[in-house]
Amino acid sequence: MSPLRRFLRTPEAIAGAILLGALVAMALIAPLLFPGDPQAIAGPALLPPFQDWSLPLGTDRLGRDVLAELFHGARTSIAVGLAAAVAALAIGSVVGTLAGFAGGLVDEVLMRITDAFQTVPSFLLALAFVSVVGPSLGIVVIAIALGTWTGPARIARAEVLSIRERDYVASARAIGMHPLEIAFREVLPNALPPVLAMSSVIVAAAILTEAALSFLGLGDPNRVTWGGMIAEGRAVLRTAPFLSIVPGIALVLTVLGVYLAGEGIVETTAVKRGLS
Amino acid sequence: MSLLTVSNLSKRYRRGGNTVIAVDDISFHIEPGETLALAGPSGSGKSTIARLVLRLIEPDAGGIEFEGDDFLTLHGAALRARRARLQMVFQDPLAAFNPRATVARVLDDPLRIHGIASRAERPRRIAALLERVGLAADLAPRAIHEISGGQRQRVAIARAIATKPSLIVLDEAVSALDVSVRGQILDLLLDLQRQERIAYLFISHDLGVVRALAHRVILLDAGRIAESGDARAVIDAPQSAIGKALVASAPKLKRTTQDAS
Repeated sequence: MSPLRRFLRTPEAIAGAILLGALVAMALIAPLLFPGDPQAIAGPALLPPFQDWSLPLGTDRLGRDVLAELFHGARTSIAVGLAAAVAALAIGSVVGTLAGFAGGLVDEVLMRITDAFQTVPSFLLALAFVSVVGPSLGIVVIAIALGTWTGPARIARAEVLSIRERDYVASARAIGMHPLEIAFREVLPNALPPVLAMSSVIVAAAILTEAALSFLGLGDPNRVTWGGMIAEGRAVLRTAPFLSIVPGIALVLTVLGVYLAGEGIVETTAVKRGLS
Repeated sequence: MSLLTVSNLSKRYRRGGNTVIAVDDISFHIEPGETLALAGPSGSGKSTIARLVLRLIEPDAGGIEFEGDDFLTLHGAALRARRARLQMVFQDPLAAFNPRATVARVLDDPLRIHGIASRAERPRRIAALLERVGLAADLAPRAIHEISGGQRQRVAIARAIATKPSLIVLDEAVSALDVSVRGQILDLLLDLQRQERIAYLFISHDLGVVRALAHRVILLDAGRIAESGDARAVIDAPQSAIGKALVASAPKLKRTTQDAS
Protein backbone atom coordinates (compact mmCIF):
# COMPACT_ATOMS: atom_id res chain seq x y z
CA MET A 1 0.00 0.00 0.00
CA SER A 2 1.36 3.43 -0.83
CA PRO A 3 2.17 5.71 2.14
CA LEU A 4 -0.51 8.18 1.03
CA ARG A 5 -3.27 5.58 0.99
CA ARG A 6 -2.13 4.19 4.32
CA PHE A 7 -2.13 7.74 5.68
CA LEU A 8 -5.69 8.32 4.46
CA ARG A 9 -7.01 5.12 6.06
CA THR A 10 -7.65 6.67 9.47
CA PRO A 11 -10.56 9.13 9.83
CA GLU A 12 -8.52 11.62 11.90
CA ALA A 13 -5.90 11.77 9.16
CA ILE A 14 -8.58 12.52 6.55
CA ALA A 15 -10.09 15.24 8.74
CA GLY A 16 -6.67 16.71 9.41
CA ALA A 17 -5.73 16.61 5.74
CA ILE A 18 -8.97 18.38 4.73
CA LEU A 19 -8.53 21.11 7.36
CA LEU A 20 -4.88 21.67 6.47
CA GLY A 21 -5.67 21.54 2.76
CA ALA A 22 -8.32 24.24 3.23
CA LEU A 23 -5.88 26.38 5.22
CA VAL A 24 -3.13 26.08 2.62
CA ALA A 25 -5.66 26.82 -0.15
CA MET A 26 -6.79 29.95 1.72
CA ALA A 27 -3.21 31.11 2.09
CA LEU A 28 -2.43 30.45 -1.57
CA ILE A 29 -5.48 32.10 -3.13
CA ALA A 30 -5.59 35.04 -0.69
CA PRO A 31 -3.70 37.45 -3.01
CA LEU A 32 -5.79 36.33 -6.02
CA LEU A 33 -9.16 36.51 -4.32
CA PHE A 34 -8.39 39.62 -2.31
CA PRO A 35 -5.76 41.61 -4.19
CA GLY A 36 -4.55 44.78 -2.57
CA ASP A 37 -4.19 45.62 1.08
CA PRO A 38 -6.46 43.52 3.32
CA GLN A 39 -6.18 46.28 5.90
CA ALA A 40 -7.75 48.85 3.53
CA ILE A 41 -11.24 50.11 4.30
CA ALA A 42 -13.78 48.21 2.20
CA GLY A 43 -17.19 49.33 3.45
CA PRO A 44 -19.20 50.68 6.38
CA ALA A 45 -17.87 49.87 9.83
CA LEU A 46 -19.23 46.95 11.89
CA LEU A 47 -21.28 45.42 9.11
CA PRO A 48 -22.57 42.04 10.45
CA PRO A 49 -21.90 38.83 8.46
CA PHE A 50 -24.21 37.57 5.70
CA GLN A 51 -25.79 41.01 5.08
CA ASP A 52 -23.87 42.27 2.09
CA TRP A 53 -22.66 39.50 -0.24
CA SER A 54 -19.74 41.56 -1.48
CA LEU A 55 -18.55 41.48 2.13
CA PRO A 56 -19.78 38.00 3.25
CA LEU A 57 -18.30 38.00 6.74
CA GLY A 58 -18.97 41.69 7.35
CA THR A 59 -16.52 44.39 8.38
CA ASP A 60 -14.69 45.34 11.56
CA ARG A 61 -14.64 48.58 13.54
CA LEU A 62 -12.72 50.40 10.80
CA GLY A 63 -14.73 48.93 7.93
CA ARG A 64 -12.12 46.38 6.82
CA ASP A 65 -13.28 43.20 5.04
CA VAL A 66 -13.21 40.36 7.65
CA LEU A 67 -13.07 37.60 5.00
CA ALA A 68 -10.05 39.20 3.31
CA GLU A 69 -8.36 39.58 6.68
CA LEU A 70 -9.12 35.94 7.48
CA PHE A 71 -7.55 34.72 4.23
CA HIS A 72 -4.49 36.91 4.61
CA GLY A 73 -4.23 35.90 8.28
CA ALA A 74 -3.92 32.26 7.18
CA ARG A 75 -0.73 33.23 5.35
CA THR A 76 0.78 34.66 8.53
CA SER A 77 -0.26 31.68 10.63
CA ILE A 78 1.23 29.18 8.18
CA ALA A 79 4.41 31.19 7.68
CA VAL A 80 5.04 31.68 11.39
CA GLY A 81 4.00 28.16 12.34
CA LEU A 82 6.23 26.46 9.76
CA ALA A 83 9.20 28.81 10.12
CA ALA A 84 9.18 28.59 13.93
CA ALA A 85 8.86 24.80 13.85
CA VAL A 86 11.68 24.44 11.30
CA ALA A 87 13.89 26.77 13.37
CA ALA A 88 13.08 24.94 16.63
CA LEU A 89 13.70 21.51 15.09
CA ALA A 90 16.94 22.68 13.47
CA ILE A 91 18.34 24.26 16.65
CA GLY A 92 17.10 21.37 18.78
CA SER A 93 18.54 18.59 16.66
CA VAL A 94 21.92 20.32 16.26
CA VAL A 95 22.23 21.01 20.01
CA GLY A 96 20.97 17.52 20.92
CA THR A 97 23.32 15.84 18.44
CA LEU A 98 26.36 17.78 19.64
CA ALA A 99 25.52 17.10 23.30
CA GLY A 100 24.83 13.40 22.79
CA PHE A 101 27.73 12.76 20.45
CA ALA A 102 30.44 14.77 22.22
CA GLY A 103 29.47 13.74 25.75
CA GLY A 104 31.45 14.93 28.77
CA LEU A 105 31.76 18.66 29.38
CA VAL A 106 30.12 19.70 26.09
CA ASP A 107 27.10 17.55 26.96
CA GLU A 108 26.91 19.03 30.47
CA VAL A 109 27.12 22.64 29.28
CA LEU A 110 24.62 22.22 26.42
CA MET A 111 22.10 20.32 28.54
CA ARG A 112 22.29 22.88 31.41
CA ILE A 113 21.57 25.60 28.83
CA THR A 114 18.64 23.49 27.63
CA ASP A 115 17.43 23.17 31.24
CA ALA A 116 17.65 26.93 31.68
CA PHE A 117 15.50 27.54 28.59
CA GLN A 118 13.06 24.84 29.63
CA THR A 119 12.49 26.27 33.13
CA VAL A 120 11.36 29.63 31.72
CA PRO A 121 7.79 29.37 30.39
CA SER A 122 8.13 29.53 26.63
CA PHE A 123 5.38 32.14 26.22
CA LEU A 124 7.00 34.51 28.76
CA LEU A 125 10.31 34.06 26.94
CA ALA A 126 8.71 34.93 23.60
CA LEU A 127 6.91 37.89 25.19
CA ALA A 128 10.10 39.25 26.74
CA PHE A 129 12.11 38.74 23.57
CA VAL A 130 9.59 40.52 21.31
CA SER A 131 9.13 43.38 23.79
CA VAL A 132 12.88 43.99 23.87
CA VAL A 133 13.75 43.51 20.18
CA GLY A 134 10.53 44.81 18.67
CA PRO A 135 7.75 43.13 16.72
CA SER A 136 8.35 41.90 13.20
CA LEU A 137 7.59 38.57 11.57
CA GLY A 138 11.20 37.31 11.76
CA ILE A 139 11.56 38.31 15.42
CA VAL A 140 8.27 36.58 16.29
CA VAL A 141 9.53 33.40 14.61
CA ILE A 142 12.82 33.54 16.57
CA ALA A 143 10.97 34.29 19.80
CA ILE A 144 8.73 31.23 19.39
CA ALA A 145 11.64 28.99 18.35
CA LEU A 146 13.59 30.10 21.46
CA GLY A 147 10.95 28.57 23.69
CA THR A 148 10.34 25.34 21.76
CA TRP A 149 13.75 23.99 20.69
CA THR A 150 14.38 22.27 24.04
CA GLY A 151 11.96 19.37 23.40
CA PRO A 152 13.56 18.36 20.08
CA ALA A 153 17.02 18.81 21.67
CA ARG A 154 16.26 16.31 24.44
CA ILE A 155 14.78 13.74 22.09
CA ALA A 156 17.63 14.11 19.59
CA ARG A 157 20.19 13.67 22.40
CA ALA A 158 18.52 10.51 23.71
CA GLU A 159 18.42 9.07 20.20
CA VAL A 160 22.06 10.02 19.49
CA LEU A 161 23.21 8.39 22.74
CA SER A 162 21.93 5.04 21.46
CA ILE A 163 23.06 5.53 17.85
CA ARG A 164 26.64 6.51 18.71
CA GLU A 165 27.29 3.02 20.12
CA ARG A 166 26.34 1.35 16.83
CA ASP A 167 28.93 -0.38 14.67
CA TYR A 168 28.54 1.99 11.74
CA VAL A 169 29.70 4.91 13.90
CA ALA A 170 32.74 2.89 15.01
CA SER A 171 33.29 2.01 11.37
CA ALA A 172 33.16 5.70 10.36
CA ARG A 173 35.78 6.46 13.04
CA ALA A 174 37.90 3.55 11.84
CA ILE A 175 38.10 4.98 8.32
CA GLY A 176 39.25 8.30 9.81
CA MET A 177 36.11 10.42 9.38
CA HIS A 178 36.12 13.75 11.23
CA PRO A 179 33.95 13.66 14.40
CA LEU A 180 31.78 16.56 13.18
CA GLU A 181 31.11 14.78 9.91
CA ILE A 182 30.23 11.60 11.82
CA ALA A 183 27.85 13.57 14.04
CA PHE A 184 26.03 15.42 11.26
CA ARG A 185 26.25 13.00 8.35
CA GLU A 186 26.12 9.56 9.96
CA VAL A 187 24.31 10.08 13.28
CA LEU A 188 21.94 13.04 12.90
CA PRO A 189 19.94 11.79 9.86
CA ASN A 190 19.24 8.53 11.68
CA ALA A 191 18.23 10.33 14.89
CA LEU A 192 15.68 12.56 13.11
CA PRO A 193 12.49 10.42 12.77
CA PRO A 194 11.40 10.64 16.45
CA VAL A 195 12.32 14.34 16.48
CA LEU A 196 10.21 15.00 13.37
CA ALA A 197 7.29 13.22 15.03
CA MET A 198 7.13 16.25 17.35
CA SER A 199 6.76 18.71 14.51
CA SER A 200 2.96 18.78 14.44
CA VAL A 201 2.82 19.64 18.14
CA ILE A 202 5.41 22.36 17.63
CA VAL A 203 3.65 23.84 14.58
CA ALA A 204 0.35 23.93 16.49
CA ALA A 205 1.99 25.51 19.54
CA ALA A 206 3.77 28.06 17.35
CA ILE A 207 0.52 29.11 15.65
CA LEU A 208 -1.14 29.55 19.06
CA THR A 209 1.82 31.47 20.48
CA GLU A 210 1.88 33.77 17.47
CA ALA A 211 -1.85 34.42 17.91
CA ALA A 212 -1.34 35.12 21.62
CA LEU A 213 1.53 37.55 20.91
CA SER A 214 -0.59 39.34 18.29
CA PHE A 215 -3.50 39.45 20.70
CA LEU A 216 -1.24 41.28 23.14
CA GLY A 217 -0.24 43.68 20.38
CA LEU A 218 3.23 42.20 19.91
CA GLY A 219 2.65 40.79 16.42
CA ASP A 220 4.01 42.29 13.23
CA PRO A 221 1.88 45.46 12.82
CA ASN A 222 2.19 45.34 9.02
CA ARG A 223 0.56 41.94 8.69
CA VAL A 224 -2.95 40.70 9.36
CA THR A 225 -2.96 38.01 12.02
CA TRP A 226 -5.82 36.07 13.54
CA GLY A 227 -4.61 36.94 17.03
CA GLY A 228 -4.61 40.59 16.10
CA MET A 229 -8.16 40.28 14.70
CA ILE A 230 -9.38 38.75 17.96
CA ALA A 231 -7.73 41.57 19.93
CA GLU A 232 -9.31 44.10 17.61
CA GLY A 233 -12.77 42.53 18.10
CA ARG A 234 -12.42 42.35 21.88
CA ALA A 235 -13.32 46.05 22.28
CA VAL A 236 -16.72 45.40 20.69
CA LEU A 237 -17.20 41.88 22.05
CA ARG A 238 -20.80 42.58 23.23
CA THR A 239 -22.07 44.37 20.14
CA ALA A 240 -20.15 42.54 17.40
CA PRO A 241 -18.97 39.18 18.83
CA PHE A 242 -18.48 37.74 15.31
CA LEU A 243 -15.31 39.83 14.98
CA SER A 244 -13.67 37.66 17.66
CA ILE A 245 -15.53 34.42 16.94
CA VAL A 246 -14.65 34.14 13.21
CA PRO A 247 -10.84 34.27 13.62
CA GLY A 248 -11.20 32.21 16.81
CA ILE A 249 -12.89 29.39 14.89
CA ALA A 250 -10.25 29.62 12.17
CA LEU A 251 -7.53 29.27 14.82
CA VAL A 252 -9.21 26.28 16.50
CA LEU A 253 -9.73 24.47 13.17
CA THR A 254 -6.15 25.11 12.09
CA VAL A 255 -4.61 23.80 15.31
CA LEU A 256 -7.00 20.83 15.21
CA GLY A 257 -6.06 20.12 11.59
CA VAL A 258 -2.33 20.24 12.35
CA TYR A 259 -2.75 17.89 15.33
CA LEU A 260 -4.91 15.40 13.45
CA ALA A 261 -2.65 15.32 10.39
CA GLY A 262 0.38 14.91 12.67
CA GLU A 263 -1.37 12.07 14.48
CA GLY A 264 -2.12 10.45 11.12
CA ILE A 265 1.52 10.68 10.05
CA VAL A 266 2.73 9.14 13.32
CA GLU A 267 0.15 6.36 12.85
CA THR A 268 1.31 5.75 9.26
CA THR A 269 5.00 5.50 10.20
CA ALA A 270 4.17 3.30 13.20
CA VAL A 271 2.34 0.85 10.93
CA LYS A 272 5.26 0.91 8.53
CA ARG A 273 7.71 0.09 11.31
CA GLY A 274 5.51 -2.69 12.59
CA LEU A 275 5.39 -4.33 9.16
CA SER A 276 9.08 -4.20 8.37
CA MET B 1 60.60 -4.89 12.77
CA SER B 2 57.07 -5.99 13.53
CA LEU B 3 54.12 -4.28 11.87
CA LEU B 4 52.14 -4.15 15.10
CA THR B 5 53.51 -4.66 18.58
CA VAL B 6 51.12 -4.75 21.52
CA SER B 7 52.74 -4.78 24.93
CA ASN B 8 51.15 -5.34 28.35
CA LEU B 9 47.76 -4.06 27.22
CA SER B 10 45.06 -3.86 29.90
CA LYS B 11 41.46 -2.65 29.92
CA ARG B 12 38.94 -2.65 32.76
CA TYR B 13 35.25 -1.81 32.63
CA ARG B 14 33.44 -0.50 35.67
CA ARG B 15 29.80 -1.62 35.81
CA GLY B 16 28.04 -0.31 38.91
CA GLY B 17 30.23 -1.27 41.86
CA ASN B 18 32.20 -4.12 40.30
CA THR B 19 35.13 -4.00 37.94
CA VAL B 20 35.36 -6.37 34.99
CA ILE B 21 38.86 -6.98 33.67
CA ALA B 22 38.28 -7.39 29.93
CA VAL B 23 41.90 -7.46 28.82
CA ASP B 24 44.63 -8.33 31.31
CA ASP B 25 48.31 -7.70 30.46
CA ILE B 26 48.22 -8.94 26.84
CA SER B 27 51.29 -8.78 24.58
CA PHE B 28 51.63 -9.91 20.97
CA HIS B 29 53.05 -8.83 17.62
CA ILE B 30 52.07 -9.17 13.96
CA GLU B 31 54.52 -9.30 11.06
CA PRO B 32 53.76 -7.76 7.63
CA GLY B 33 51.58 -10.06 5.52
CA GLU B 34 50.87 -12.39 8.43
CA THR B 35 47.56 -13.56 9.89
CA LEU B 36 47.35 -13.72 13.66
CA ALA B 37 44.14 -15.20 15.04
CA LEU B 38 42.65 -14.34 18.42
CA ALA B 39 40.34 -17.12 19.50
CA GLY B 40 38.48 -17.79 22.69
CA PRO B 41 35.03 -18.16 24.20
CA SER B 42 32.55 -15.28 24.51
CA GLY B 43 33.71 -12.69 27.00
CA SER B 44 37.37 -13.63 26.70
CA GLY B 45 38.28 -10.10 25.52
CA LYS B 46 38.71 -10.73 21.78
CA SER B 47 36.60 -7.84 20.56
CA THR B 48 37.93 -5.50 23.25
CA ILE B 49 41.46 -6.13 21.96
CA ALA B 50 40.27 -5.39 18.40
CA ARG B 51 38.78 -2.08 19.49
CA LEU B 52 41.87 -1.19 21.54
CA VAL B 53 44.17 -1.85 18.59
CA LEU B 54 41.97 0.39 16.41
CA ARG B 55 41.86 3.14 19.09
CA LEU B 56 38.07 2.96 19.14
CA ILE B 57 38.48 2.66 22.92
CA GLU B 58 41.47 3.70 25.04
CA PRO B 59 43.49 1.18 27.11
CA ASP B 60 44.10 1.62 30.84
CA ALA B 61 47.70 0.48 30.51
CA GLY B 62 50.13 -0.85 27.94
CA GLY B 63 51.54 0.20 24.60
CA ILE B 64 50.67 -0.20 20.92
CA GLU B 65 53.34 0.33 18.30
CA PHE B 66 52.17 0.40 14.69
CA GLU B 67 54.50 0.74 11.69
CA GLY B 68 57.30 1.79 14.03
CA ASP B 69 55.39 4.63 15.73
CA ASP B 70 53.76 4.81 19.14
CA PHE B 71 50.12 4.55 18.05
CA LEU B 72 48.74 5.64 21.43
CA THR B 73 50.29 9.12 21.33
CA LEU B 74 48.57 10.03 18.04
CA HIS B 75 45.59 12.38 18.33
CA GLY B 76 43.18 14.36 16.16
CA ALA B 77 44.17 14.82 12.52
CA ALA B 78 47.37 12.75 12.86
CA LEU B 79 45.41 9.80 14.23
CA ARG B 80 42.71 10.12 11.55
CA ALA B 81 45.37 10.17 8.81
CA ARG B 82 47.12 7.10 10.24
CA ARG B 83 43.81 5.19 10.39
CA ALA B 84 44.13 4.72 6.62
CA ARG B 85 46.83 2.10 7.32
CA LEU B 86 44.78 0.15 9.86
CA GLN B 87 41.30 -0.93 8.86
CA MET B 88 38.52 -3.06 10.29
CA VAL B 89 35.77 -5.39 9.08
CA PHE B 90 32.91 -5.98 11.48
CA GLN B 91 30.90 -9.09 12.23
CA ASP B 92 27.47 -7.88 11.15
CA PRO B 93 27.83 -6.22 7.75
CA LEU B 94 24.37 -4.65 8.07
CA ALA B 95 25.10 -2.94 11.40
CA ALA B 96 28.50 -1.75 10.14
CA PHE B 97 27.00 0.58 7.51
CA ASN B 98 24.82 3.64 7.86
CA PRO B 99 21.30 2.33 7.07
CA ARG B 100 20.79 5.23 4.65
CA ALA B 101 24.01 4.66 2.70
CA THR B 102 24.48 3.36 -0.80
CA VAL B 103 27.35 1.12 -1.86
CA ALA B 104 28.94 4.02 -3.74
CA ARG B 105 28.80 6.35 -0.74
CA VAL B 106 30.32 3.75 1.57
CA LEU B 107 33.30 3.34 -0.77
CA ASP B 108 33.50 7.05 -1.59
CA ASP B 109 34.07 8.08 2.06
CA PRO B 110 37.58 6.61 2.58
CA LEU B 111 38.73 7.79 -0.88
CA ARG B 112 37.51 11.32 -0.15
CA ILE B 113 38.65 11.55 3.48
CA HIS B 114 42.21 10.43 2.77
CA GLY B 115 42.43 12.33 -0.53
CA ILE B 116 43.19 9.15 -2.44
CA ALA B 117 41.26 10.09 -5.57
CA SER B 118 39.83 13.31 -6.97
CA ARG B 119 36.07 13.72 -7.22
CA ALA B 120 36.09 13.00 -10.95
CA GLU B 121 38.26 9.94 -10.52
CA ARG B 122 36.32 8.37 -7.64
CA PRO B 123 33.54 6.56 -9.59
CA ARG B 124 36.24 4.68 -11.52
CA ARG B 125 38.09 3.81 -8.30
CA ILE B 126 34.84 2.60 -6.72
CA ALA B 127 34.15 0.36 -9.72
CA ALA B 128 37.70 -1.02 -9.50
CA LEU B 129 37.30 -1.73 -5.76
CA LEU B 130 34.01 -3.54 -6.37
CA GLU B 131 35.63 -5.66 -9.06
CA ARG B 132 38.59 -6.38 -6.79
CA VAL B 133 36.28 -8.01 -4.23
CA GLY B 134 34.35 -9.92 -6.89
CA LEU B 135 31.28 -7.69 -7.22
CA ALA B 136 29.74 -6.12 -10.31
CA ALA B 137 30.48 -2.41 -10.73
CA ASP B 138 26.79 -1.67 -11.36
CA LEU B 139 26.10 -2.49 -7.69
CA ALA B 140 27.38 1.00 -6.77
CA PRO B 141 24.06 2.92 -6.81
CA ARG B 142 22.24 0.25 -4.76
CA ALA B 143 21.29 0.86 -1.12
CA ILE B 144 23.20 -1.16 1.48
CA HIS B 145 20.02 -2.86 2.72
CA GLU B 146 19.13 -4.01 -0.81
CA ILE B 147 22.12 -6.31 -1.32
CA SER B 148 22.73 -9.76 0.21
CA GLY B 149 24.76 -10.44 3.36
CA GLY B 150 27.66 -11.91 1.41
CA GLN B 151 27.72 -8.95 -0.98
CA ARG B 152 27.62 -6.60 2.01
CA GLN B 153 30.64 -8.24 3.60
CA ARG B 154 32.47 -7.94 0.27
CA VAL B 155 31.61 -4.22 0.25
CA ALA B 156 32.97 -3.99 3.81
CA ILE B 157 36.22 -5.58 2.65
CA ALA B 158 36.35 -3.23 -0.36
CA ARG B 159 35.95 -0.29 2.03
CA ALA B 160 38.74 -1.65 4.23
CA ILE B 161 41.20 -2.05 1.34
CA ALA B 162 40.27 1.32 -0.26
CA THR B 163 42.98 3.13 1.73
CA LYS B 164 45.62 0.43 1.03
CA PRO B 165 46.11 -0.59 4.68
CA SER B 166 48.94 -2.74 5.98
CA LEU B 167 46.73 -4.34 8.65
CA ILE B 168 43.04 -5.24 8.71
CA VAL B 169 41.31 -6.26 11.92
CA LEU B 170 38.63 -8.83 11.11
CA ASP B 171 36.27 -9.01 14.08
CA GLU B 172 34.26 -12.22 13.56
CA ALA B 173 34.11 -11.09 9.93
CA VAL B 174 32.79 -14.41 8.58
CA SER B 175 30.80 -15.63 11.59
CA ALA B 176 27.46 -14.17 10.48
CA LEU B 177 27.68 -15.58 6.95
CA ASP B 178 26.29 -18.91 5.81
CA VAL B 179 28.76 -21.67 5.08
CA SER B 180 29.03 -21.42 1.29
CA VAL B 181 29.46 -17.62 1.37
CA ARG B 182 31.96 -17.97 4.22
CA GLY B 183 34.25 -20.11 2.07
CA GLN B 184 34.18 -17.53 -0.75
CA ILE B 185 34.96 -14.65 1.62
CA LEU B 186 37.85 -16.59 3.17
CA ASP B 187 39.24 -17.25 -0.33
CA LEU B 188 38.95 -13.52 -1.10
CA LEU B 189 40.83 -12.65 2.12
CA LEU B 190 43.60 -15.14 1.35
CA ASP B 191 43.88 -13.80 -2.20
CA LEU B 192 44.10 -10.17 -0.99
CA GLN B 193 46.79 -11.14 1.50
CA ARG B 194 48.86 -12.85 -1.20
CA GLN B 195 48.52 -9.94 -3.64
CA GLU B 196 48.82 -6.91 -1.34
CA ARG B 197 50.74 -8.38 1.63
CA ILE B 198 48.07 -7.21 4.06
CA ALA B 199 48.38 -8.54 7.61
CA TYR B 200 45.23 -9.70 9.39
CA LEU B 201 44.31 -9.70 13.04
CA PHE B 202 41.63 -12.36 12.72
CA ILE B 203 39.19 -12.62 15.59
CA SER B 204 36.99 -15.70 15.68
CA HIS B 205 35.54 -18.37 17.92
CA ASP B 206 35.52 -20.85 15.00
CA LEU B 207 38.72 -22.86 15.25
CA GLY B 208 38.12 -24.52 11.87
CA VAL B 209 38.26 -21.17 10.12
CA VAL B 210 41.22 -20.09 12.25
CA ARG B 211 43.14 -23.22 11.27
CA ALA B 212 42.45 -22.62 7.57
CA LEU B 213 43.37 -18.92 7.52
CA ALA B 214 45.79 -18.06 10.32
CA HIS B 215 49.54 -18.51 10.57
CA ARG B 216 49.62 -18.12 14.33
CA VAL B 217 46.91 -18.22 16.97
CA ILE B 218 46.46 -16.83 20.46
CA LEU B 219 43.86 -18.54 22.64
CA LEU B 220 42.32 -16.17 25.16
CA ASP B 221 40.54 -16.94 28.38
CA ALA B 222 39.08 -14.26 30.66
CA GLY B 223 41.27 -11.54 29.18
CA ARG B 224 44.55 -13.48 29.45
CA ILE B 225 46.58 -15.42 26.94
CA ALA B 226 46.01 -19.12 27.64
CA GLU B 227 48.09 -20.50 24.81
CA SER B 228 49.79 -19.27 21.64
CA GLY B 229 51.80 -20.60 18.76
CA ASP B 230 51.56 -21.99 15.23
CA ALA B 231 47.85 -22.21 14.35
CA ARG B 232 47.83 -25.82 13.16
CA ALA B 233 50.06 -27.06 15.98
CA VAL B 234 47.95 -25.38 18.68
CA ILE B 235 44.60 -26.51 17.28
CA ASP B 236 45.73 -30.06 16.52
CA ALA B 237 47.26 -30.54 19.99
CA PRO B 238 46.04 -27.89 22.45
CA GLN B 239 47.90 -27.83 25.76
CA SER B 240 45.74 -25.48 27.84
CA ALA B 241 42.39 -26.42 29.38
CA ILE B 242 40.55 -23.75 27.42
CA GLY B 243 42.24 -24.87 24.20
CA LYS B 244 41.12 -28.46 24.74
CA ALA B 245 37.59 -27.29 25.56
CA LEU B 246 37.42 -25.11 22.42
CA VAL B 247 38.67 -27.91 20.15
CA ALA B 248 36.29 -30.41 21.76
CA SER B 249 33.35 -28.06 21.22
CA ALA B 250 34.00 -27.76 17.47
CA PRO B 251 32.42 -30.99 16.17
CA LYS B 252 32.90 -30.26 12.47
CA LEU B 253 36.55 -29.37 12.86
CA LYS B 254 37.86 -32.48 11.07
CA ARG B 255 35.74 -31.97 7.98
CA THR B 256 36.46 -28.24 7.78
CA THR B 257 40.19 -28.87 7.92
CA GLN B 258 39.94 -31.50 5.21
CA ASP B 259 38.07 -29.06 2.97
CA ALA B 260 40.65 -26.40 3.55
CA SER B 261 43.63 -28.58 2.73
